Amino acid sequence: MRRAHLLLISSLLLLLAFPLARGRYSDDDGEDIVDFDDNDFAEFEDMNDEQAAETETAPPPRASQTSKPEEDEDEDEATVELEDGQDGFEDSETQDQDMYRKYDQEEFEGFGDMEGPGHSMKDPLIIHTVPAHLQNSWESYYMEILMVTGLLAYIMNYIIGKNKNSRLAHAWFNSHRELLESNFALVGDDGTSKEAVSTGKLNQENEHIYNLWCSGRVCCEGMLIQLKFLKRQDLLNVLARMMRPVCDQVQIKVTLSDDDMDTFVFAVGTKKATAKLQKEMQDLSEFCGDKPKSGAKYGLPDSLAIVSEMGEVTDGVMDSKMVHYITNHADKIESIHFSDQFSGPKVMQEEGQPLKLPETKKSLLFTFNVPGMGNTSPKDMDSLLPLMNMVIYSIDKVKKLRLNREGKQKADRNRARVEENFLKQTHAQRQEAAQTRREEKKRAEKERIMNEEDPERQRRLEEAAQRRDQKKIEKKQMKMKQIKVKAM
Amino acid sequence: MSFNNMADPRRQNKILRYKPPSTDTNPTLEDPTPDYMNLLGMIFSMCGLMLKLKWCAWIAVYCSFISFANSRSSEDTKQMMSSFMLSISAVVMSYLQNPQPMSPPW
Repeated sequence: MRRAHLLLISSLLLLLAFPLARGRYSDDDGEDIVDFDDNDFAEFEDMNDEQAAETETAPPPRASQTSKPEEDEDEDEATVELEDGQDGFEDSETQDQDMYRKYDQEEFEGFGDMEGPGHSMKDPLIIHTVPAHLQNSWESYYMEILMVTGLLAYIMNYIIGKNKNSRLAHAWFNSHRELLESNFALVGDDGTSKEAVSTGKLNQENEHIYNLWCSGRVCCEGMLIQLKFLKRQDLLNVLARMMRPVCDQVQIKVTLSDDDMDTFVFAVGTKKATAKLQKEMQDLSEFCGDKPKSGAKYGLPDSLAIVSEMGEVTDGVMDSKMVHYITNHADKIESIHFSDQFSGPKVMQEEGQPLKLPETKKSLLFTFNVPGMGNTSPKDMDSLLPLMNMVIYSIDKVKKLRLNREGKQKADRNRARVEENFLKQTHAQRQEAAQTRREEKKRAEKERIMNEEDPERQRRLEEAAQRRDQKKIEKKQMKMKQIKVKAM
Repeated sequence: MSFNNMADPRRQNKILRYKPPSTDTNPTLEDPTPDYMNLLGMIFSMCGLMLKLKWCAWIAVYCSFISFANSRSSEDTKQMMSSFMLSISAVVMSYLQNPQPMSPPW
């Protein structure tokens, strides 16, 4: 009884200890334990005896190193084997390989593929590249660096272009200053100062446009000079100009008072420029009906064309000195336009025709091209000085130029014709405008009558309006009768 | 010195003050570039801010620079500065929200 009791207790204890032991050791080691245990625990065996036999020869290197010391403690046989195993593991790989082959393929999955300590896995290691935004390197921000570089290039170009334009403008002014100051009492005015004192410098309107106002001379009211340079400060414009070369221009507009100029319209310039002017300018399109004629007839180079109101005007303007000027500097002349009816380019109005004739001013307009086709240097500005001389000469000449009687009559007829045409075209519109005005008045009156609260007053106003209408009708009838009588 | 130099064409009494040409009479002569670029810059910077597109913001910066380069001296500097600041803020906000580098469209 006592013996059975002891057995039971010991078996119970073993039963408790067994899972703990099992937890520490690998299956193979568990086999060893199982072998030593009673067959009561045979149910815990998951492997057959063959495997058990094999495992006894040598433990796989997979066996954790920590389990080995415990094994050594518990099983002497195993200890010996372990030591062998350990030595075998450390000394030679071939011994290990032999050992591996003995292992059951079922038990150890993928075990056969293992070769030595540097074993490769079934799935190859894929090394992913770190995405660009997680890399902390400047190289990944190359687009931003490009953008900033572009901006810096733009700023550099702005500074360089601005300076170049400024230098060109001042070079022009320095070369022309003497001539202007000897001809005009006021050189340089921005219109803001209280007294009319020469500022003696250019007005900078833009980074590429400079103005100069000169006044105080016989034969003219004033002269506005505009230096229209290329937009060297804008990189986009610089790139566009590489495709299509353009020139810097000097535009001069001389305004004359009424007695400074006789009535004529005339233009000379490059073929392209004169064609464009004739199409766009109000006065040239109205007064100069003929197409631009070649300047060769008057001794000018073939590249220039003339648009004129009448032949006499051309003969008068193109005297020998003018021809000399123009021929010598033909490459710099874009257009020259003299007009007593200058009103600017044709204005496109939405309602069809403007109701009033545009205001005209007697003007001389000159457009000169700066030589160099964009690649100008400040020295080139000196070559424009003779052209300014020509301008001064023209002012004096125009004052003296008078048409003969025939010419004057022709010119007056032209102007009357233009005015009549204009009035005819706008007649319908003017009538409409007058009609609408009358209707507006009537409507306003009617509203007043309606709004009148006092019925008495309302009646009286209505009667007054009726009387007025009747009077108008009577008047019209009278007129019609008179016309009929006259016709008879 | 009472002798009047006939060759001197200058006349003090004929001086006229400079009157800047009004732009109402000839609006076609005005260069519209700075105004267009200003508007484009504002549109792009709003796009960049709202839609969080980095390239929009960068184009807005370029537009405001171009507008500044083409502007007339009479134009208000406040307008220029405001469009410039708006575009810079668009760029900064796009990068704060999303520090990834800009990817090229190709």
